[in-house]
Amino acid sequence: MNIGVENAAPRPAPRAGAPAPPAPGGPPSMSSSVWQRLRSVLLMLCSFGLTGLVLANAYYQRQQFYPSVVYITKSNPSMAVIYVQSFVFVILFGKLVRKIFFGQLRAAEVERLVESFWYVFTETGLTFTMFRDDISPNFVVFFTILVFLKIFHWLTEDRVDYMEQSPNITVLFHIRMVSLMIILASVDIQLIAYAYTSTVSKGPSVQLVFAFEYAILLTILTTTAIKYVLHVIDLYGENPWEDKAVFMLYTEVVIGFIKSLLYMIFVFILVRTHTFPVFAFRPMYQTLKSFKRAFNGVLLSRRAIHVMNTCYPNATPEELANTDNVCIICREEMNTNTITKKLPCNHIFHKSCLRSWFQRQQTCPTCRLEVLEAPGQNRTNPAGVNNNNNNNNNANSGNNNNNQGAQQQPRPGQFPMFDPNMFMQGRLPFPMPPFPGVNNVGGQPGRPGAAAPPRPTTTQPSASATTTTGPPGAASMTPPPFFPMPPFFGAPFGVPPPLPPVNFAGLTDDELRAMEGQERQNVEARVRCLRNIQILLDAAVMEMQQYSSVAARLQPGVPSFPTTSTATQSSTTTTSATQSTTSTVSSSSGSVSNVTTSTSSTTYSLLGARPRVVAPNPSLEKEAEAVIAKMDAKTSHERKQEDPAIDPERVLSTLQDELLSSPSTSSASPARNIDSRPSRNEEQDEIRRRRLALFEQQAQKENAEESKKSN
Amino acid sequence: MASTALRRLMAEFKQLSENPPEGLMAGPISDENYFEWEAAITGPQDTVFEDGVFIARLTFPQDYPLNPPKMKFMSKIFHPNIYADGRVCISILHAPGDDPMGYEQSSERWSPVQSVEKVLLSVMSMLAEPNTESPANVDAAKMWRENREDFKKIAHKHVRMTLEEDPPSESRNT
Repeated sequence: MNIGVENAAPRPAPRAGAPAPPAPGGPPSMSSSVWQRLRSVLLMLCSFGLTGLVLANAYYQRQQFYPSVVYITKSNPSMAVIYVQSFVFVILFGKLVRKIFFGQLRAAEVERLVESFWYVFTETGLTFTMFRDDISPNFVVFFTILVFLKIFHWLTEDRVDYMEQSPNITVLFHIRMVSLMIILASVDIQLIAYAYTSTVSKGPSVQLVFAFEYAILLTILTTTAIKYVLHVIDLYGENPWEDKAVFMLYTEVVIGFIKSLLYMIFVFILVRTHTFPVFAFRPMYQTLKSFKRAFNGVLLSRRAIHVMNTCYPNATPEELANTDNVCIICREEMNTNTITKKLPCNHIFHKSCLRSWFQRQQTCPTCRLEVLEAPGQNRTNPAGVNNNNNNNNNANSGNNNNNQGAQQQPRPGQFPMFDPNMFMQGRLPFPMPPFPGVNNVGGQPGRPGAAAPPRPTTTQPSASATTTTGPPGAASMTPPPFFPMPPFFGAPFGVPPPLPPVNFAGLTDDELRAMEGQERQNVEARVRCLRNIQILLDAAVMEMQQYSSVAARLQPGVPSFPTTSTATQSSTTTTSATQSTTSTVSSSSGSVSNVTTSTSSTTYSLLGARPRVVAPNPSLEKEAEAVIAKMDAKTSHERKQEDPAIDPERVLSTLQDELLSSPSTSSASPARNIDSRPSRNEEQDEIRRRRLALFEQQAQKENAEESKKSN
Repeated sequence: MASTALRRLMAEFKQLSENPPEGLMAGPISDENYFEWEAAITGPQDTVFEDGVFIARLTFPQDYPLNPPKMKFMSKIFHPNIYADGRVCISILHAPGDDPMGYEQSSERWSPVQSVEKVLLSVMSMLAEPNTESPANVDAAKMWRENREDFKKIAHKHVRMTLEEDPPSESRNT
């Protein structure tokens, strides 16, 4: 019954019979091993001696075979001895089988056997109490066979797991395992069939329990066989098999599900026919627990794979060459043959290693940076991390050029059903507003979708960060360029600026018509137009905040980047500049949030206003300041009172006057000395100029409107 | 190809045998199983454990290095951070997320960056400087704080024991 499990602790005779399998790597200290061996041999001899005595006694008393047998079966002490003897035979047979199929048992295997055996022992006791009416020698024999088979199922499972641990797996091992699995499977099936026929012919009895137990054993054996096949494939493959862990996980989930289902059915049937099976409670609980764990594992694993595919770029060969080239998880070299991933903290790992780690911990293994976060939580991160995530989002699209788009394509066997873009969309908690400038590059009148974003102020920066084509992510490792770069290409640091759309399409005729006239709705349309300007300013402020966070992260040693294009103009803005604009916009944000559906179209066509680079002019600065102050006053006034008595017309006209009186600044972009580092003042100038240019653009629109009116 | 864990353990063993750190020795108990190691740690100089050679058993999980190994001293040792049965309680051997009491920062705990060598070095420094704030062996911690002389006596006794008896590894491998 309990083959090979007897070495853990001294146990009462006669069960503590068999000798302990010695610890792997050599026999333990001689004295204890010899004593244990001796003890078991002695006990066995005792049993044999007693049996001999009983037999001799019976034969002496009855002189004939049949009467002796009858005598023994009638006498209780004799039967006890015979039972013990048969027990010893079972143990001996078990040891023989173990020797044939397993050789020596390892310490861990013995430990597990002992542990599981005691559980089975108590559960068997519980079963006996439930079926106490059925107890017969037959019943005991069946249970002995069950426990016997169970032990070998456990051993097979352990041995197959051990395949992963041992560097040298012999042919003998495979022969043993395959033949044992076949034998166990056929025995299981036989016994299930027997239990089935018995239940069908004689009605529900204890055979139900057996049928169920063997069904469970069969699922365990199936798992073992699948694992064995997976291990064999891995063992004899040329390269490490990266997806093996995923397959194992799925096997566990499927088998866990089948087992849970079996337990449910079993409990249901037993409750119907007998009573609640207490003995099935513990294994059922454990099965459900492990099923839940496996299921969670699959979820985490899928999430990890998904995040890696979408968020983190593959490391380029140059990046690999720059580091020491060894994956810290498996301590093996990373080369271009394997897929490697770079985390936001610039640590590089094998993709498969990272995946299995992310299944357990969602941190960078090296620096423990929290890298796998729920999409919505990114905003709470420190600026650096947040920006890095954005960077990697965009870098994905950029990197495809460098890496032959390898990382975007799901590899075979790795959840091709996942759409890599799903995550990108998931990052944005609200719908992305359309950008007319981007969508209508051809210069058609901006006709953006009617759906208004619920909160345009916050949407814009993030939306633009994802919609605009960012700089290639690889650029973050290359030295900053010192020559003129075309716009959209050379921003050498992480965050791509939320660019204003390329092409300004202007207001449509309908919109212009709406603003004509002196009616109240016309005035309102004009006010809305002004509000749109505020939204534009908000976007600009967000953009600048983004830049300032980038600037704060830059190392002092890294040179600032030349400002040549609209893309990089305000990139090196300072915090003071940002603060000044923040004050402006914060006062207007209240009204901005009121923008309704009808105005969204104007909003985005206004957003299309293309800022132009203008020559530095201190007087212009003052102009801009004045305009901003006006805006401030106006908006705060507006917010305070909803009274229609306010004359927006007047505000509008003064604004227009202000704007028109400023000299024309829409000159072409001046050729600047690229190498000279822009000073602080110049940076601020840039921002102001840009802002002013937007106003000017708007003013021109108003102008056109005026002229139309007069016509 | 063998499994990731096995390949990494082999690599670590190779590295450890090529440049063994001072005062440390470690390796698999048998060639058959790389997931059971035995390590010999010498007591750090100028501490109560000086000159002792303590034998410990390292058991690696199947998914090493994603989960930490378990470490247990086979030699008798009296130390605030070692349970009476020899199990070592040190933060580097705890998987992050294991500590419900929040005693340890996650940065001190196991990650795949750690290795057998780092674990053994940490244990060595733990021998030199016990952490009595969350002791595994409360008696030892109390004695260490309140009665250093008695602690020294017990430690010396155990050091002598490690030197007198054959290291378990030798008797096992012969």
